[in-house]
Amino acid sequence: MLKKLLKYDLKYMIRNMSVFYILAIFFAIITRLLSLLDQSVMIGILTKISSGCVIAMIANIIINAMMRSWLRFRDSLYKDEAYLTHTLPVTKNDLYNSKLLQTLIFFFIGFIIVLLTLFIAYYTKDTWHTIKEYIKTITTGFNMSTAFFIIMAIVVIFLELFNAIQCGFLGIILGYRKNNARLGFSVLYGFITYLIAQTLVLGLVFIYGLFDPTVMELFKTATINIDVNAFKVLAVITSVLYLVIIFTMSIICKRILSKGVNIE
Amino acid sequence: MSNMELLEIKNLNKKYDKKYVLKDVDLKITSGKIIGLLGKNGAGKTTLIKLINDLLTPTSGEIFVKGNNIGVESKKVISYLPERTYLNKQMKVSEVIDYFKDFYENFDDNKAKKLLKDLDLDINQNLSKMSKGMQEKVQLVLVMSRKADLYILDEPLGGVDPATRDYILDTILSNFNENASVIISTHLISDIERILDEVIFIDKGKIVLQSDTDELRTKENASIDEIFRRMFKC
Amino acid sequence: MDFTFDNNIPIYIQLLEYLKIYLISGVFKCGEKLPSVRDFANTFKVNPNTMQKALAELESMNLIYTERTNGKYVTKDEKLIEKLKDEYAITLAKSYFQGMKRIGLGKADSIKYLEGINE
Repeated sequence: MLKKLLKYDLKYMIRNMSVFYILAIFFAIITRLLSLLDQSVMIGILTKISSGCVIAMIANIIINAMMRSWLRFRDSLYKDEAYLTHTLPVTKNDLYNSKLLQTLIFFFIGFIIVLLTLFIAYYTKDTWHTIKEYIKTITTGFNMSTAFFIIMAIVVIFLELFNAIQCGFLGIILGYRKNNARLGFSVLYGFITYLIAQTLVLGLVFIYGLFDPTVMELFKTATINIDVNAFKVLAVITSVLYLVIIFTMSIICKRILSKGVNIE
Repeated sequence: MSNMELLEIKNLNKKYDKKYVLKDVDLKITSGKIIGLLGKNGAGKTTLIKLINDLLTPTSGEIFVKGNNIGVESKKVISYLPERTYLNKQMKVSEVIDYFKDFYENFDDNKAKKLLKDLDLDINQNLSKMSKGMQEKVQLVLVMSRKADLYILDEPLGGVDPATRDYILDTILSNFNENASVIISTHLISDIERILDEVIFIDKGKIVLQSDTDELRTKENASIDEIFRRMFKC
Repeated sequence: MDFTFDNNIPIYIQLLEYLKIYLISGVFKCGEKLPSVRDFANTFKVNPNTMQKALAELESMNLIYTERTNGKYVTKDEKLIEKLKDEYAITLAKSYFQGMKRIGLGKADSIKYLEGINE
């Protein structure tokens, strides 16, 4: 049943997100075409506008993926559509997992589209070279491989977004637990959950720091002059902590859902 | 199986804040009956129905459907029509049919298509382009196209024109079989009482009466509508 | 045909009346097979259970009988149907005279009125 649920959740997301994907790529192509023309003042202005549109669409893809995930979660579990959702012969676990997977998949698709858009709009040998050089200075400075750096960066960003999304889900679940639910409560609960999750990560890293002076240094100094090893450790620890928090929170969400809902 | 109750409710209570909206509800429903759940607005009809359909969590008490607690198994055998439109408006009618076919093993898509045709509803139309009345008809078709053991229809006659009302009653009757029961909640008693086997009166969150319809008519020498009015004079 | 029901009277009793008239007037003849309960229920637009009850009542009056697997048949006993017709006619006649009596007309006068009516 999870497969079927996911099918319809993904259909919904495609229906609502594809317009941004198409627009992003469209503006990327325009930007690219304009850049191929002779650079008169007029063309310069148009390129700027088109470029602005590309950035706006990229922002849209990320922000909308989050907002849509929350909206979809609330609508299908607590609004009119809930009358159908909760009367389907599926478990609450499946309902929840489907929403979580849908979000994950759409972050991933969004990420690919963003890369593709950037590539279409701005790729030249020069920019590629500049970026490579830039990353290299960072990675050599930290004495780590480029692959490790990129993977770590992506993983941390992903987990962070994912955590934020799930905090929103928990917020919605808590806010709509009782009758006379108000959206405001959901937002508040979501925000509190997020703060708690962040504090937890920070706190646990701090505790780890008590045993590892190099990590502790990160808390003491405000300079860029960080210990290379500490940075690596920090990245790994943070990722693991996020994973644990995400997993735990998903269990909490499913527990609360399984206890039953109160749909208005 | 035959002597197991289709629906059994034991000492069910539902409280909002400190107010009881359902109090000490005990109920048994067997197969093969059309049952009217009758009560004034706010009497607790919808609350009871939502509890049976897992849309509300009981404060206390138990609900069994064919011996199972409310959950995946009960949802497989209950076909429920809520009193609001619950379909995703972005979908086409045909997509909704696929959706039901995907999730309900007992859904008969050919029957649904036939009923939609009877009602002059276009299968390729988007729900967002349909009036509320049309959407409600689509929902009725979906619900009646399942071969369920228990149909629960919450106010299916509210706000529909007389022709549709007749069509709805006909649809209920022609789909009805001895292995299933139908619970119809309504406050429009006179329109529906001729098809009811049994009536349940609910008032202020309590079940006040459960009786065979014709027995009640004979005993009180009046229509169900009149008996109801006498009992709950405003 | 549309069937109307009075909600004040048990539906099965009203169905029974309809069915009796069917038998008396020969819509269903002696020994003829009757439609199934479901078909009957669809025609009258009533609950099959109520239909079943009316038919059971009819059966207990021996006006119809059930052949184990084949369904229900009208009795082969023509006398029973005749008797039913007779009873029904008497009831109708009685109610006519009662009505006339209420407006002050005796039996003789009432019959005159009857004869005066051209169908």
